[in-house]
Amino acid sequence: MKVLLVILVFILMEGATWLIHKYIMHGFLWFLHKDHHDHSNKGELEKNDWFFVIFALPTIALMYFGSLENFNYLFFIGLGIMLYGMAYFFVHDIFIHQRIKFFTHTKNAYFLALRRAHKQHHKHLGKEEGECFGFLYVPLKYFRMYFKSAKS
Amino acid sequence: MMAYTYALILFFTIIICFIASFDKRIQFNLQFGSFLKAAILVAVPFIAWDIWFTAHGVWWFNTDYTLGISFFGLPLEEILFFICIPFSCIFTYYTIDKYYKWEVLSAFNNLLVFVSIIILSVVGLLHTDKIYTLITTIVTILTLIYLHFIAKVDWLTKASLVFMLLMLGFFPVNGVLTGSFIENPIVNYNPKDFLGIRMFTIPIEDAVYGYSQFLLVLYFFKKLSKAK
Repeated sequence: MKVLLVILVFILMEGATWLIHKYIMHGFLWFLHKDHHDHSNKGELEKNDWFFVIFALPTIALMYFGSLENFNYLFFIGLGIMLYGMAYFFVHDIFIHQRIKFFTHTKNAYFLALRRAHKQHHKHLGKEEGECFGFLYVPLKYFRMYFKSAKS
Repeated sequence: MMAYTYALILFFTIIICFIASFDKRIQFNLQFGSFLKAAILVAVPFIAWDIWFTAHGVWWFNTDYTLGISFFGLPLEEILFFICIPFSCIFTYYTIDKYYKWEVLSAFNNLLVFVSIIILSVVGLLHTDKIYTLITTIVTILTLIYLHFIAKVDWLTKASLVFMLLMLGFFPVNGVLTGSFIENPIVNYNPKDFLGIRMFTIPIEDAVYGYSQFLLVLYFFKKLSKAK
């Protein structure tokens, strides 16, 4: 049951991230997310990294209150958010933005689709127009693009 | 002979690294000045913390194992601890860093800081009544936030891996201090003030405390040796 809850939260977090990314990061917190698109903050960590504080605080609160109640559902919701955060950093920092060259030559269709969609998102340098706000799930057409070529 | 125990622990902690410092391939001896300045800079607040905890009985020292010279309630050896332990740690990092750049590791910094801050915050919040646990988590969280977001260093994951390697030295040294292999511990802890989770005889807080001390000395060492 607890495992299911963690998995459910993990999946819901993709939706939440999509919403936050589309309506908040590209909305009233655009000033924090801007340098991630136009690289106006050269050579240093991006202000965008501060978003992880925004994800960490609810996780800490949920895990804390959940622990006080003998590790009830709140704790596992927090755990789901934390695991999503870890997956996000793993995929975003390591794979998509190629901070390391681990997966540069991957032939995995899922990873290729993610990278392609994220590139599409970064094609737009401004705040207003934009597409592909998800991280671990992207529009079907990108999956089709690579899963087809993988089969043929 | 017993009175030399703590002094001998320190001696064996540094002696191999000290001799190896003069090796032509390492030449850490050229960095002694930068190291000493960095270590003293970090030692001052850590010794103040140590004096505070000793005065409040969070921990105390068995003087059967020390030379008997003390300052502000701390045995001389305990003060030298803040130079000797970082010496071997920074020597190890410096030597590894000379030969292995491992630049790819910086990609894991966000992941490392994210998970560490969450775990430390939750543990700290749950144990505000245990002062060693609480202060250790606060200091480590602030250290990580400063180094990652303000100083923006790129070596956190690398330093953390080196710290894991340093556990090979940490276990015997801190083991003896906390009572492994000898009749009584040299450092005794008030059971009310820490989690009570011990790795062999070593309270888990000691490892986290050592981690933030190591990161801070390394940070100042890198700054000072670059400035030279």
